[in-house]
Amino acid sequence: MASTPAATPAATPKTAIKPLDRTFHGSTSIGSYELEQKVGEGTFGEVYRAKSRKDGEVYALKRILMHNEKDGFPITALREIKLLKMLSHVNIIRLEEMAVEREKGTRKKATLYMVTPYMDHDLSGLLDNRDVHLQVPHVKSYMLQLLRGLKYLHNSHILHRDMKAANLLIDNKGILKIADFGLARHYDEDVPKPGQGGGEAKRDYTTLVVTRWYRPPELLLQLRRYTTAIDMWGAGCVFGEMFKKKPILTGKSDLNQAEIIFELVGSPNDNNMPGWHTLPGCDGVRAWDPQPGNLDKVFGQYGDDTVSLMRQLLKLDWRKRINAIDALKHPYFTNHPLPSRPEDIPWFASSHELDRRNGRDGRGPGQAPPPAPAGGTVGGGPNAEGWAGKGPPNGSSWEGNGRNSRQPPGSSHPPNRAYESRIPNEIRLPNETRVPKAGPDGRGAPPPPPRRQPWQTDAPPVRSASHLPPAPPEGSRHPLPPRPDPFIPRDPHSRDSSHAPRESSHPPRDTRPPRDRDPHRKPANLDSYVPSYSTGGRRDDRRDDRRDDCRSAEREDRYRPSSRDGRRGSRDEGRRRLNYDDVDNPRSRDDRSDTGGRDRPRDERPRDRDHRRSRTRSPARERTREREREKEHRDNRDVYRR
Amino acid sequence: MAASSPHLSQLVNPLVSVDQLASSGSQLDGVPSDLESSCIYAGAQLMQIAGILLRLPQDIIAQAIVIFSRFWIGSDGGSLREFGVKDVSLASIYLMVKLSAYPKAPRSVINVFGYLDSFHSTLGDLKGHVDTNNPESYYVSEGTYVAQRAQLTKMETIILKVLGFQTHVALPYNICINYLQALDVFVDHETASHLAKRAFAHLNSALLSPQLLYLTHQPPALATAAIYLSAKETGVKLPDAEWWEVFDTDREELGFLVVAMISMEDFVKEENVKWENRKAPSTLIEMENELERKATANGHH
Ligand SMILES: Nc1ncnc2c1ncn2[C@@H]1O[C@H](COP(=O)(O)OP(=O)(O)OP(=O)(O)O)[C@@H](O)[C@H]1O
Ligand SMILES: [Mg+2]
Repeated sequence: MASTPAATPAATPKTAIKPLDRTFHGSTSIGSYELEQKVGEGTFGEVYRAKSRKDGEVYALKRILMHNEKDGFPITALREIKLLKMLSHVNIIRLEEMAVEREKGTRKKATLYMVTPYMDHDLSGLLDNRDVHLQVPHVKSYMLQLLRGLKYLHNSHILHRDMKAANLLIDNKGILKIADFGLARHYDEDVPKPGQGGGEAKRDYTTLVVTRWYRPPELLLQLRRYTTAIDMWGAGCVFGEMFKKKPILTGKSDLNQAEIIFELVGSPNDNNMPGWHTLPGCDGVRAWDPQPGNLDKVFGQYGDDTVSLMRQLLKLDWRKRINAIDALKHPYFTNHPLPSRPEDIPWFASSHELDRRNGRDGRGPGQAPPPAPAGGTVGGGPNAEGWAGKGPPNGSSWEGNGRNSRQPPGSSHPPNRAYESRIPNEIRLPNETRVPKAGPDGRGAPPPPPRRQPWQTDAPPVRSASHLPPAPPEGSRHPLPPRPDPFIPRDPHSRDSSHAPRESSHPPRDTRPPRDRDPHRKPANLDSYVPSYSTGGRRDDRRDDRRDDCRSAEREDRYRPSSRDGRRGSRDEGRRRLNYDDVDNPRSRDDRSDTGGRDRPRDERPRDRDHRRSRTRSPARERTREREREKEHRDNRDVYRR
Repeated sequence: MAASSPHLSQLVNPLVSVDQLASSGSQLDGVPSDLESSCIYAGAQLMQIAGILLRLPQDIIAQAIVIFSRFWIGSDGGSLREFGVKDVSLASIYLMVKLSAYPKAPRSVINVFGYLDSFHSTLGDLKGHVDTNNPESYYVSEGTYVAQRAQLTKMETIILKVLGFQTHVALPYNICINYLQALDVFVDHETASHLAKRAFAHLNSALLSPQLLYLTHQPPALATAAIYLSAKETGVKLPDAEWWEVFDTDREELGFLVVAMISMEDFVKEENVKWENRKAPSTLIEMENELERKATANGHH
């Protein structure tokens, strides 16, 4: 290697050459940040506000929790980091660096943080702030920015797959940035072209994506060859949410989600959703009451152009659903009033989705609506008068109705609070979680499982719920529904026979019909990022266990208001499950065959605590330092290492 | 900082800098560069074989080998006296597999490496090297497994940190096919598929190159060189014009890469002779022993 003529790297003039970038090496220590308060709670761990001691700027530090020490570095974080490092756009959150926290004197593993610029709000928190009243120009501006971000993403062959208000961050300069790439993936198809919607996909992807309330109809009906149009649907939901100040399609189950979607935009037929009847359907349901849709009624008050754009974004036919390129050209953005320039959007007191949860701490379910969220009463700022104040802003009345909580579409169902306050109708003990149980009609409420993380596969939970801060209770205005359920029912006993039908002997655990039985669900070339191993033996049992936990977790947070991360669970379980149980991969077959009988840990009981002891690094340390000295001596022009 | 220019097209790789090529952690730690090359070559070769046993698609194996190779370069790269080749290759495979559509359990990866451990050598013709009738020789006990898995997860994070969390690897395989199509060689299928296979073979060999071709050249140049060389070897006639220019490769770079690809054969032969019936050091202990052996042989002590 040393014999290589060193001149070679310079020999590719036509492509921009980026040196192998090790800026993150020995990454910045957490010490260069001054941690302030917690602003978010995510799947990987908490998000903190922090001030950099280097440049005085404020950043958000998202802690990467090592969920599953057995599987190593969490795949969602790995993916998110990988994608963010490739992206560069004003409307996409920027990954500044990784920060390392090493607890001195302990053998504890280093904790890693993703460092992004601090954003004052997420859109969900912002909309929930009673003192915030977006005016039409602001809504247009946010929408414009969202669409620009999506256009860039889609054009970069990336599907976000978790569009929702809580994942859209907004800074105090009015800039909106798309965040949370934990479910995102590379998109193998052609990028959207003007006038051609999302096009068609040629390969299958997992349908276990997108938080339910933002999930498009084709995903609910189990289309696997979905396209960038799934993100556009989410953008439509967010659009509506900006008017109503709360999510517009808040289904209580996947089936109900489909129902209220059809109520809003009309039920599917061969005209408005060609091919709909060939899709597997939602929970086995494939016939829908004819509905004309009431979008006009629900959004008519906001103007024809609003309704028109909304209609384009919430189109049932995913092939025709408007893409970001075309949406940006919609007259909505050139009609008066024009979108504000971001810098003209007034300043709001910081608000995050977490505020809502925290604001309700200590309250039981079913209580009065939440008081103004933490940041809410602060209001003010340069332009506070007139519209960050207590009433609707002067001259903007369009949003007035939203205040009265018109029921979201699908109002034949009780408002959220009603189901949030339901209590478990059955209590189950930890050991029972593996036994599938469904409600009497197969659709009823599943009993809540013990609060176990999906990655806690055996042994007592390492981070037991009781060590954690008290649960934010249910009852907040709109806890998000689960991300999709990637449960693969499996019969552990048939594991060794690749021919045996997977879950033949198990009744569905879920209240839903076992979608996974559908052969469509497992073609061989599906995408998956996730190690979900089926190595046989007990381990499989535990995996099923894990799966079960996650399956019911979504119910749990609905029915067990006191569970620790109530709403968080509801938002995150899907992802967690996805992490470990992404169904789209051929490995279930592979692993079984490739290493044969050897590949079967008979018992993994011994937990690998001892890996920690191997962290004595002093000799290496010394060498590193020596080396660094020498290096600096020899060459201090080294760019990649600053 | 990295993020100031984070844009990195999916088709482009970060390349090593001249400085990074000029030295390495191992060399700074006193590992002779020929031994370093041997170790890294053996590690990459091990990954290639393990990848096949794990039934991984070649592109994932290739990405893992690139990650592995990146790990060792530059003065702040990993040192062979600090990290064992086997640990790094195992973790590199595991890491890239995790990011792929073909996730494998740590157990699977560890078993495969355990199996390969039982070989006398992982170079040359593998057939004579293992006693397949003796499973005892490659059985990974539960205790060993647990320890190795702990080592694996630890190593994974170290690799990530050393690489600045940059796990993106662009490969030349698809581009190679596109170029062949663009060059219209698929008209005659027989020779074309022969040519394509040859080109892929060169791309695969180049992964193991001691000149770290995947770290110094972008995929288009690698693909172009592989096509050029294979066309020469198979007697397929390509356009007279300087077609490689169209593919972002100039004559000088093409020449360099072709020579490097041709030299692989001799390099591999030499390595096979050098390490006949034994293995290049793949653990820290083996490395220390080897260094000692070398020192003694050179009469330093
Ligand atoms: N850069 C930031 N500035 C301010 N707040 C942030 C920032 N990044 C994240 N947050 C807050 O933290 C919350 C969770 O962050 P993020 O969505 O990235 O994490 P996650 O683990 O993917 O969460 P989840 O799975 O709950 O969606 C966001 O909704 C937001 O309120
Ligand atoms: Mg989020």
